[in-house]
Amino acid sequence: MNKIMKSKRPAVLLTTALTAMVAISGCGGGKSAGNVAAGDSGAGNSGGSGEQVTISHYTIDSEDRTFIEKLIPEFEKEHPNIKVKVEKAPYEQFDSKLQTLIAGGNSPDVTSHYGYGGFAEYYNKDMLLDLTDLIKEDGFKAEDYNIPGNLMKIYTVNGRTYGIPVNMYVTLMLYNKDMFDAAGVSYPPSDYEDKSWTFERMVEDAKKMTLVSDDIAKTQYGVDFTWAERDMRPLYFGAEPYSEDTWTNGGVPSETHFDSPEVIAAYQKLFDLVFKDKVSPTSEWSKSVAGQNGDPFVAGKIGMSIGGSWNLAGANDFPFKIGVAAVPWGGNEQVRSTLFVDPLLILKDSKHPKEAFEWIKYLMTTEVQEKSIELSGGNPPVNTEAAEVYYKHFDGIDPQDVKKVYEGAVKYGYESYNHLITNYSQINDMFINELQPVETGHKTLEEVMPVIQKKVTEIIKR
Amino acid sequence: MSTVKAASPLSPPSRLRRRVDPVKIASFITLVITTFLMLLPLFFMVSTSLKSKREMLKFPPTFLPESWAWSNYTDIFETLQFGTLYKNSLIIAGFSVFGTLLSSALVAYGFARYRGRGNNFWFILLLSTMMLPYPAIMIPQFVLFSKMQWIDTFLPLIVPAFFGSAYNIFLLRQFFSTLPEELFDAGRIDGCGELRMWRTIALPLSAPALATVAIFAFIYSWNDLLTPVLYLSSSDKFTLPVGMASLTSSRFRIPPWHLLMVASVLAMVPIVTLFAIAQKQFVEGIVLTGIK
Repeated sequence: MNKIMKSKRPAVLLTTALTAMVAISGCGGGKSAGNVAAGDSGAGNSGGSGEQVTISHYTIDSEDRTFIEKLIPEFEKEHPNIKVKVEKAPYEQFDSKLQTLIAGGNSPDVTSHYGYGGFAEYYNKDMLLDLTDLIKEDGFKAEDYNIPGNLMKIYTVNGRTYGIPVNMYVTLMLYNKDMFDAAGVSYPPSDYEDKSWTFERMVEDAKKMTLVSDDIAKTQYGVDFTWAERDMRPLYFGAEPYSEDTWTNGGVPSETHFDSPEVIAAYQKLFDLVFKDKVSPTSEWSKSVAGQNGDPFVAGKIGMSIGGSWNLAGANDFPFKIGVAAVPWGGNEQVRSTLFVDPLLILKDSKHPKEAFEWIKYLMTTEVQEKSIELSGGNPPVNTEAAEVYYKHFDGIDPQDVKKVYEGAVKYGYESYNHLITNYSQINDMFINELQPVETGHKTLEEVMPVIQKKVTEIIKR
Repeated sequence: MSTVKAASPLSPPSRLRRRVDPVKIASFITLVITTFLMLLPLFFMVSTSLKSKREMLKFPPTFLPESWAWSNYTDIFETLQFGTLYKNSLIIAGFSVFGTLLSSALVAYGFARYRGRGNNFWFILLLSTMMLPYPAIMIPQFVLFSKMQWIDTFLPLIVPAFFGSAYNIFLLRQFFSTLPEELFDAGRIDGCGELRMWRTIALPLSAPALATVAIFAFIYSWNDLLTPVLYLSSSDKFTLPVGMASLTSSRFRIPPWHLLMVASVLAMVPIVTLFAIAQKQFVEGIVLTGIK
């Protein structure tokens, strides 16, 4: 160190470097400040003279999300003072880019929780703009856009609205018609009121289609019952893992019951499909057959598959005929389908919330929602009138079936936890890891569930 | 290999009778098998890139395409704006390579040829920057570039390359130090300035090391996903990795793996070409910098 202190050269070098840095940053800073001032002068008066502002819509870079680019020209024609810019990122990087954009002072105006993080996370991080006053001032009414009132409630916390629902995915059953025909089994009903369509009957039907052989290419299973996120599954049998107050408490449940006998029994019933009745594949088998597609149903190896309605969007590509059916009755009066409702949100740092709200309203109109179905390749709208167009969108599937399944799902539906519980991405990761040994048959639920209960409690408190 | 011969140099040839060395055969077979295993994923990449969307979903997968879907190779240009992505990636990688070579060679030359007090301290300081993971500087850097109004331009992806990188500086410094001092003395006698000696003596003699650095810089920039994702937002500015990541982005569709494989095959081309051109230099570069 002494040597360095004495030596003059490093000092000179350091000074030069520092001077250069100051020069560069000073220069950059000055330039940017000038630019911001020039660019933002419009923002300052945006309320008044209708000067042009640019809002940004941040979304996932995939066809079913970026279709909004095609809607922009029409919107800009109707609103000459607003320009819309679409910013995008691949799914895996969606959250990290959003966080960096906000931290870097480049917050987008409109987005949704399209990444792993859910509404509750955004809400708890104070990222969202309270839309209540904006809605009041504007006179926006959900009925005018055919948005069912109960859907508006999902993104309302303590009477304040933070998001406008735009797409609604439900959980339904897809079935492989070819496999049903080959086994001589009659197709399952699409009517949720048909109470003869029970979990037990599903197992019976599945047995007739299951064929386990040493030749992996010949093996096929009757049913794949991966119903919603892992932590939600007990609900299907009427066992509630999270306490009621989750929904009024800003996504923080005061209690969880993952080690209760009811919840364990519910999980047991689902794992029995794999290990006792042997009508469902193990996770290893699914992985080896499905490869990176992640879904053995797509490979034509599964008779019935319980999954999100987004699976319908790929239906026209499947190498076999498919149908849609109701999720069978699990003996519980209420919950049979999980709803995944995606909202449009305005971020707190938005510089032009009013204009952003105009854009959201435009996306909600029946005409645009109808157009979006085609442009996106089958995104289900919340607008009930546009939904009629959605039901007819799928080749080879009876629109009546899609409609019945959708309406039944809404009636017997439950909003997915994944948007509404705090720190959900950690909870979900933990569930995937901890349940893995049960899925592979190396541990029992009785061993695993108390651990999960403990870990959920810890994550929620974070 | 030659040990057998050396062990019995005087044995008459008749007694050896040109017997084939079993060790040699075994190692040859092992080599063939490993080569085959190594090439298998590559083979599947090319094979899948020529399958139709339906065939791609089949299980068990077919080894060779049943019907050769050559049209995949033209489809990719429509579904992905592949041409634009490719061009963007090439521009960014090209400037990055140029910037890295220029700055790293200059700094390395300084470190290799000048003896000053504190020399080691600065060098260690430089090397210690290698220990900073990118996520640690991600947000401050983003704020800096955002203040400079560089968001959604190529500048944040190119300009940092002109400020040197520790690893490459280290690599080149090691190489420059091996150049004999006499050459530079001769240069000095002929009246060369330092910059000219750098350009006319040091650089031409360091082709292998420079080729190595160029390849490293190219591959790094070509494969980089995180930085372009952060700084670029409009699709006409995206790079190949971003576009390819977006192909599997939809939660609602079966990913078009066949097209992704097409993209991968085509994305490999520049790296393979560059490597083929620079191979001689590259191998030599690793050997020289590694040993000395």
